[in-house]
Amino acid sequence: MDLKALEHPTLKVPYEVLNKKFRSAQKNIDREMSRVHTDLDELEKKLLDKPTTVGDVSRILTSVVDKLNAMKRKAAESIGDELDAARVTKRRTDHLREYDTKDQNLQTLWRKKRLDRILVEYFLRCGYYDTALKLAKHSRIEDLTNLDIFLVAKEVEESLSNHETAQCLAWCYDNKSKLRKLKSNLEFKLRQQEFIELVRKNKRLEAVGHARKYFVNLEDNQMFSVQKAMGLLAFPPETEVSSYKEMLDLSRWQLLVKEFRSENFKLYQLNNYSVFTVTLQAGLSSLKTPQCYHEDTKNADCPVCSQYLNDLASKLPFAHCSQSRLVCHMSGHPLNEHDHPMMLPNGYVYGENSLVKMATENSGKIMCPRTKQMFSLTDLEKVFVM
Amino acid sequence: MDSCSLVEKEIDKVLTKFSFVSDQTDRQLNELINYAEKLITDLAEAPEDEELSVAQSLMLTQYIKKAKDGSSKVAAEHRDLHGAVSKVGKAVDRNFTQDFGVVNKDGTFCGLDRPDLVNQVICQHFFRQGLLDIGETLIREAGVDIDVNSKEPFFEMNRILEALSKGDLQPALKWAQENRFKLRENHSSLEFKLHRLQFISLLHGGPQKQSEILQYARNFEPFAAQHEKDVQQLMGSLLYINTGIESSPYAYLLKPVQWADICDVYTRDACALLGLSVESPLTLSINAGCKALPALLNIKQVMQQRQCTDVWSNKDELPVEVNLGPEYRFHSIFACPILRQQSTDHNPPVRLICGHIISKEALFKLSNGNKVKCPYCPVEQSAADAKEVHF
Repeated sequence: MDLKALEHPTLKVPYEVLNKKFRSAQKNIDREMSRVHTDLDELEKKLLDKPTTVGDVSRILTSVVDKLNAMKRKAAESIGDELDAARVTKRRTDHLREYDTKDQNLQTLWRKKRLDRILVEYFLRCGYYDTALKLAKHSRIEDLTNLDIFLVAKEVEESLSNHETAQCLAWCYDNKSKLRKLKSNLEFKLRQQEFIELVRKNKRLEAVGHARKYFVNLEDNQMFSVQKAMGLLAFPPETEVSSYKEMLDLSRWQLLVKEFRSENFKLYQLNNYSVFTVTLQAGLSSLKTPQCYHEDTKNADCPVCSQYLNDLASKLPFAHCSQSRLVCHMSGHPLNEHDHPMMLPNGYVYGENSLVKMATENSGKIMCPRTKQMFSLTDLEKVFVM
Repeated sequence: MDSCSLVEKEIDKVLTKFSFVSDQTDRQLNELINYAEKLITDLAEAPEDEELSVAQSLMLTQYIKKAKDGSSKVAAEHRDLHGAVSKVGKAVDRNFTQDFGVVNKDGTFCGLDRPDLVNQVICQHFFRQGLLDIGETLIREAGVDIDVNSKEPFFEMNRILEALSKGDLQPALKWAQENRFKLRENHSSLEFKLHRLQFISLLHGGPQKQSEILQYARNFEPFAAQHEKDVQQLMGSLLYINTGIESSPYAYLLKPVQWADICDVYTRDACALLGLSVESPLTLSINAGCKALPALLNIKQVMQQRQCTDVWSNKDELPVEVNLGPEYRFHSIFACPILRQQSTDHNPPVRLICGHIISKEALFKLSNGNKVKCPYCPVEQSAADAKEVHF
């Protein structure tokens, strides 16, 4: 049951990779095929163009054989890639199916791997790449995580932070068709930034040339921002004039990084938040009780009572409980018909077993752990919780 | 696990189909290549500038058509595979939940306003497991402000555990002796168990080690009162040291499970001493979350379908009860059986004279003047006689 809710990204991402490989494979095969056809057309023409010599025909035929071989090679390579991508997906479903076992130990190990997978994804999203790599290697979950995609993204993000557009543009080209389907503005924004950089370096003529080349066939809203950018030509790079100063601001590069990151996620159908964040907080909420925030009822074993999580959970909703479930404060064990809840005269309730044990070790005397008051075994009264 | 099987079915189809097409493609193109090569060999028998015969011309024309059709077919067969590929994607979308932002309104669970706290927790989690290297890397990359002293207890625990796993009891013994007083307060028998294990491992030495073993037995003295039976059994095993303990009634002492247990016992006692939980809070929270999310998703879906999204207007509580199981119960929860509400500071549980417990508000509601009758048994009492209880 938990699988259905949490594992969509685990399987969707390798599917998107497979899809991408399919598209590029088809492109390759079509291209090689058209090369073969070109040669065949030439041969056909030659045959109609009498006189045709043996030599002419041999030459073209040899070329045809070459192109056919190239097509064979390219097809084998591309389909090999596709099969690899499909196998990655299969490995992941295999792993997910391992959860369906009666063996408690295996289940615990699987859950541990799941926690590590979730952590790796969280680290990648935060940009803690070294930690992610180390953890993935340690748990041997490299092919169960989407490391590759994030590492490619990391390179692009770094180049953008260095005020370079080349890598990001190459990425856009690589993913052209999908980005077009998503109606992405990224490439346009990159070209705009290049324009601004040319102006910053006072290369205004080049900037105009750049604009002529890239700012064509624009949508309305793009046209609007181009007009604003063109206005920049009239100002020096150190200008203090309001909206032009912002355009020259270097923080625009960070916006490009964010835009790239968001488009990258959309490409692989990833959400903007991490599974870790949602799961952690859902978990804390389902464990949170009012007792976690009262000094005398804190329990060292309860995650919500622990130091940092206590703080984190303070704004989250409490768990909803419609049934009473009692736990003995002394032993931590549940109170039920095997361990009756008993009340001391001061109103504090503990399990009968723990109270009796304390009394036998203390010659019939009982000390309430929370108020330090002393009572005797005969002072106990039964309570009934429905 | 049906969700997985359904997706896996589609992937298997993809693997089969692609393999098939790969073979087909290879075969078809090879056929075309071989034919062309044969034609070239045939043509090579004649001199280069000789004109083509009509027969040869005809063969070539046929070949051209064959090659064009063949190569187009290869491309088309590949294109047809797209159906199988997109079925995989559809299967994933149908069987797995994509967006759980739908879980809560205002994205309560999606944002994290204190990432620094989370990183601290993760660091501690790694230190607990002995993954010191990974913890250090995280500190560096995330800029976690960690108190150097807080690391020390975990490092020591890991050192001792590592030694224990290699069969070296000394570090653990030293620690147990240093903390003897506190351990005794917590009713821990760790030190005795460690001595016991050491004794047993000496037993392996055989009859030659007898005097050494007896000498070691002196260590049991402080524990003799509390562990009388155990000590008697251990000393009893010496009877068989000459004939071999493996064949004696004391063979169970030599079982390796004792060693696995001791690591567990040590971890529990050490954590109790340090006031830490035995299980990492991060592990527990995430496992709880993995159990809770499907329930929350379900309820949200139902709410949306029936268009009653206001049901979760009380943001202080989750809209549905999530049964995590007894291992996740750390606090007593009292829900009044009459009003079906959790107890709060303003509405604590109270005990009636007969012993039944209800909430204070329920008491008021059931009171008639100053008289109240227990809803579960016919005992009557005055409202003032009810006593507040604490769990």
